[in-house]
Amino acid sequence: MSILIEQLLNAVALAALLFLVSVGLSLVFGILGVVNFAHGVFYMLGAYLTFTTVALSGNFWLSLIVAPPVVGIIGALLESSTLRFIYRRPPIYQLLLTFGLALMLEEAVRLVYGPTAKPVDPPPMLQGSVALAGIAYPRYRLFLVVLGCTVGVAVWLFLSRTRAGLVIRAVAQNSEMADCLGADVARVRTLVFGAACALAGLGGVAAAPMTTAYLGMGIGVIVDAFVVVVIGGLGSIGGSMAGSLIVGAAQTWGAFYLPETAMVIMYAVMGAILVFRPWGLFGEEE
Amino acid sequence: MIPSRLWALVALVALAIVPWVLARHQLSLLTDLLIAGLFAMSLDLIMGYTGMVSFGHAAYFGLGAYASALVLLHFAQPVPVALLAGALLAGAVAVPVGWFSTRATGIYFAMLTLAFAQFLYTVAYKWRDLTGGSDGIAGVPKTPLFWGGPSLASPHAFYFLVATCVVLSLFVCRAVVRSPFGRALQAIRENERRFTSLGRDPRPFKLVVFVIAAVFAGLAGALFAPFRGFASPEVMFWVFSGQGLMMVVMGGIGTLVGPILGAMLFILIQEVLSSYTEHWMIFTGLVFVLMVIFLPGGVVGTARRLGARG
Repeated sequence: MSILIEQLLNAVALAALLFLVSVGLSLVFGILGVVNFAHGVFYMLGAYLTFTTVALSGNFWLSLIVAPPVVGIIGALLESSTLRFIYRRPPIYQLLLTFGLALMLEEAVRLVYGPTAKPVDPPPMLQGSVALAGIAYPRYRLFLVVLGCTVGVAVWLFLSRTRAGLVIRAVAQNSEMADCLGADVARVRTLVFGAACALAGLGGVAAAPMTTAYLGMGIGVIVDAFVVVVIGGLGSIGGSMAGSLIVGAAQTWGAFYLPETAMVIMYAVMGAILVFRPWGLFGEEE
Repeated sequence: MIPSRLWALVALVALAIVPWVLARHQLSLLTDLLIAGLFAMSLDLIMGYTGMVSFGHAAYFGLGAYASALVLLHFAQPVPVALLAGALLAGAVAVPVGWFSTRATGIYFAMLTLAFAQFLYTVAYKWRDLTGGSDGIAGVPKTPLFWGGPSLASPHAFYFLVATCVVLSLFVCRAVVRSPFGRALQAIRENERRFTSLGRDPRPFKLVVFVIAAVFAGLAGALFAPFRGFASPEVMFWVFSGQGLMMVVMGGIGTLVGPILGAMLFILIQEVLSSYTEHWMIFTGLVFVLMVIFLPGGVVGTARRLGARG
């Protein structure tokens, strides 16, 4: 029984991390109509910036404040210098463009940080474990769950309850109409793209103490995030959350019971869902 | 405007003469270019003619490479048998993957193909007994064309095998896209909804072209294994799938010949840059990003546009 609870908690912690990454991917698709292949690289950038911040200041909490905005600004600059010009093209060109950006960023990170992985220690407060329902549970994973839930609620409240969120939803529904009604669509897109990159960066910060910062972590996470949004449906926060939980559960239980074939379980779940709902659990039918 | 038949003749003559002019390592590079070109051309079938962007095409190249390597190493069959095995395995695996992936369209299709490819990559990586894991399979021999037949061990002989395969594949693919089936694919690309409302189901068409593309990618992989003498998980990695997309876009999407030229351009840029810096990917990425923004038709598309204007 305690093993079951422990696995469940591990699955939720992994899901929280996946959610931080996939929610931005999903929002950019829902609002800009772009699948951002570079999203995983921004996650990686967040992890590397955490390494730098901790190395310079010795304070993990500082990186939580510093890294996401830096990643967001880089994302916003890239959007306004490249992606902005090709929104009218078929969506494939935007995917390819972000793929090119991903290659450049990945290589730039290799240039700056070199090929070896960079370890990051969790802050003292989050080291060790707490007793929870009769089991010792790592504090850091608990922190991930809290962070994931907080971000999920914050994004949802922002989009549904604020005026800025209203404008963003208007652009998502009909960007030309929103433009006619006086919304600065180009600016909204840049800000949303930057914010989504910042969320990916935040995911990277949160992941760094668990996984270290390493090259290739971006592609690993983007494939998982793709599976999450395919299961949950693109453009929906609830879908990202449900998809993250499903993928987190499939990976955790898969790794526990069938270590050699954990990947197979994730894809089997995805395949099963696609047969019945090709547009995902929460997505809208095309 | 030079007629395209003349271009084809010039290209064929050039392919026949060039190996006698080039140095040994240049010939080897050219063989590499042609194999990559075949891979990119097969991707263009689904990407350019049907509008389905696969982000996992390298998986079929890799399957072809592994099948070919295993046949050559363990059964010591002539090279054409290995080529057949590679193409068939790639096509066979593409049937279930295509069946699932073509349920989705557009971006979902791209993500699904990527996910399946990463899955196949993981299988190749973990199935040590069969694939050698991360080491891959080394020492793949270049067996003769048939038993008692001409040897393929010399660079020239293997070059001509590859060139023949690429030219024949190009003709077959051209015939496919010009057939009624190919016209249907282009109709799906232009307007899938209208295609459906005319009473046709697009999914069987998409599945068939997906499998055809996988067969040619498998053939390219099956040539790659004996040419390089190895097969390893890297050839199945997503990076190679993405490079295939870059080759198609750089050369000209939906032109078949363009992707072959795009592959040449891509590898030549890489060859030149990598002698100056190990971080050549930054510049290749930059060239690609600029081409996506300013030259969406690629080399061939832009040349045709200029030709039509002048």
